[in-house]
Amino acid sequence: MLAFVVRRIVTTIPVMAFVALFVFSLLYVAPGDPAAIIAGDQASPADVERIRASLGLDRPYLVRFGEWTWRVVQGDLGTSIFTNLPVTELIRQRIEPTLSLMILTLIFAVVIAVPMGVIAAWKAGSWIDKSAMAFAVFGFSVPVFVVGYLLAWVFALKLEWLPVQGYTPISNGLWPWFRNLILPAITLGLVYIALIARITRATMLEVLQQDYVRTAQAKGVAQKDVLFLHSLKNAAVPIVTIIGIGIALLIGGAVVTESVFAIPGLGRLTVDAILRRDYPVIQGVVLMFSLVYVLVNLLIDLTYTLVDPRIRY
Amino acid sequence: MDRRTFLKSATGAGLAAASGGLAMPALAQSAGKTLRFVPQANLANFDPIWGTQYVVRNAAALVWDTLYGVDSKFQPQRQMVESEEVSSDGLTWTFKLRSGLKFHDGSPVTSKDVVASLVRWSARDPMGLMLRAIQVELSPVDERTWKWVLKEPYPKMLLALAKNNSPCTFIMPERIAKTDPFTQITEYIGSGPMKFLKSDWVPGAKAVFEKFADYKPRSEKADWLAGGKNILVDRIEWVIIPDAATAAAALQSGEVDWWETPLADLVPTLRNHKDINVDIGDPLGNIGAFRMNHLFPPFNNPKVRQAVLTALNQEDYMRAVVGDDDKLWKALPGFFTPGTPLYTEQGGDMLKKRNVAEAKKLLAESGYKGEPVVCIVAQDMAATKSMGDVTAELLKSIGMKVDFVATDWGTVGARRAQKTPPDQGGWSMFHTWHAGADCVNPASYTAIRANGDKAWFGWPNVPAVETEVTNWFKAKDLAEEKAAIGRLNQAAVENVVYAPTGFYLSYQAWRKNVSGVVSGPLPFFWDVSKA
Repeated sequence: MLAFVVRRIVTTIPVMAFVALFVFSLLYVAPGDPAAIIAGDQASPADVERIRASLGLDRPYLVRFGEWTWRVVQGDLGTSIFTNLPVTELIRQRIEPTLSLMILTLIFAVVIAVPMGVIAAWKAGSWIDKSAMAFAVFGFSVPVFVVGYLLAWVFALKLEWLPVQGYTPISNGLWPWFRNLILPAITLGLVYIALIARITRATMLEVLQQDYVRTAQAKGVAQKDVLFLHSLKNAAVPIVTIIGIGIALLIGGAVVTESVFAIPGLGRLTVDAILRRDYPVIQGVVLMFSLVYVLVNLLIDLTYTLVDPRIRY
Repeated sequence: MDRRTFLKSATGAGLAAASGGLAMPALAQSAGKTLRFVPQANLANFDPIWGTQYVVRNAAALVWDTLYGVDSKFQPQRQMVESEEVSSDGLTWTFKLRSGLKFHDGSPVTSKDVVASLVRWSARDPMGLMLRAIQVELSPVDERTWKWVLKEPYPKMLLALAKNNSPCTFIMPERIAKTDPFTQITEYIGSGPMKFLKSDWVPGAKAVFEKFADYKPRSEKADWLAGGKNILVDRIEWVIIPDAATAAAALQSGEVDWWETPLADLVPTLRNHKDINVDIGDPLGNIGAFRMNHLFPPFNNPKVRQAVLTALNQEDYMRAVVGDDDKLWKALPGFFTPGTPLYTEQGGDMLKKRNVAEAKKLLAESGYKGEPVVCIVAQDMAATKSMGDVTAELLKSIGMKVDFVATDWGTVGARRAQKTPPDQGGWSMFHTWHAGADCVNPASYTAIRANGDKAWFGWPNVPAVETEVTNWFKAKDLAEEKAAIGRLNQAAVENVVYAPTGFYLSYQAWRKNVSGVVSGPLPFFWDVSKA
């Protein structure tokens, strides 16, 4: 097991190196010029050129890539062209809201979607199953921003139960923190619930046909134990896989959700940086997201051993 | 500890945490004195000389004071300056600071700080560059006095020091002002009415300003950037809300107090809300525009440019930009901001009435060979996208071939600087807009300049325009200024320096418990209070 973990961590190095090269090259060839944006509309072409030179953007590709790589290896992701703040500081400022939103969404989605999928499979063909799957189709089909606006309109503007926007750090109290995240987590979680619920249902349908399930039922085991102890555990591998893959979905969805609810997270940082061509920030955030994704995959692989003792590395 | 005891303790701890501890009372206490403002854009950097975006200038006006300030009649008024004197030959200006001015770090404002700040400003500002070109000496005389010696008279000196166009003459401590003007400052110390709390700044989310207790306001009533800048709240929080619908909802729910630029589509909803006021934000508005590349076919031919201008109907553009609210736009047969002293329609007939037949005739006379018009249009800016769509139809309607390049503003910003032919990475046309505050006179109006290679993107070369710019700078009174601007307008229309697509305004909205909000070219926070 330890050897597997070490091997997997070592394999992340070439993956990250490739991501770094890809992102840097992509930004190098992408159109757009941060110097022109900084200089503003009234600036002369000479001003723009001077700003470009002061930012080092006029230097050759290899020189810039070499310097950037050397800094990244030392743990320095560079400094934002616009804010003049270190990229690590910008990520530090933004990581808590995004992490909070993702964790809450994940909990919320798993708690709802897994039982929903299990029950839908158990009652396959019934109105419960049909309703659950109709809900899943709705979750897939309705864009995140529509759900966000709708929830904000009902729960913030009409009922005045929850805030429309913003984020309160967890250090200011659990309830203020939670209050700000309820609507965004539901918004972001909807598509995730749909995904997990459908996979859970499909896997459970297969498992429920197995002989040992029939045996358990014949022995008089309580239905909830048949479903949640015997069947769900055997259906867990694909479900865990889809939860992991869904992390990418969450990262993408967080960009929109953070914009709709004005949450100062990494999603908005990324979008702002892309629109302004703030290269160091884009590179830093993409690298970080890639690392997170690689680590999540590793975590999923390790989780398999917990849910299925037959799997050994 | 058994399971039940553990659960009891955990529940108790959870409830205590959920109550928010001490944070909630603290928030409630300060809420009445904190003004929450949604600015037009994200405050991504905070050096008003290095970055000339208007959002930076607007925030900077809270933190850094200026030597003079322009009032609502466009007149420069003393602000940090106590007195000024100009020699009889107009070559030596001597200025004296008011006494008792302090920076936020407690140090006094001296003439050394002023000189260093003016040196940095003059490297980036169009009027500052003109001053540099005729400067003999800029130096401190004593702690509060400095002099500026010139080779030739510069009648617009006070306007240069008072203007509200970016970059303004914000005064910084000498050690900060000595930073290269093309490098960002890292300390945000000014002598303005509010302090910038760098530690609370989260670019893209919020910026926080705290009342500066030692600020010494002037005794006159505040009038735009002039007069006493009395701050009536303890703290101003700029809340960045990129999504317009969310900002509208936040204003309705009372989570924010003042929104600088509500989307026109959302204004009816805000107007119907019992707790919200809506009014025009900046009376100087914006001038919509598209620029043609004067260096390459087809727009290197004045007749083709005139054909486009003749076919242009400003109403089409304005309705596309602001919708059906007629209070928000007006036709603009010229280049200068309506309602300002130098506004003129001289020579603007071509823009007054659309004439497609005449446009087609002009195009035929021009010898247009069917070269595609590479029209680069930023889709992430509502105004440029709307205008771009109208222009594409306009060009097709007179028989021009259009290569419509839908892209984003960042790409337009880079591509418009390319002087290569349109089919080799260059361009033929792009859309933009100019703040009306920049278009009140030629001093900060880069877009109207027509000095070829040195001109703004499109590089028009029209000597008649440049002659009148010089005449305006040398004008001794308003009558002379108006005459020069009339001739300038005529030459600019005839040669189509650029195509104005109309003048448009936008609204601002604020909660009724906030008072003192005025219309102006930037949000003025002085005399604004919150009940």
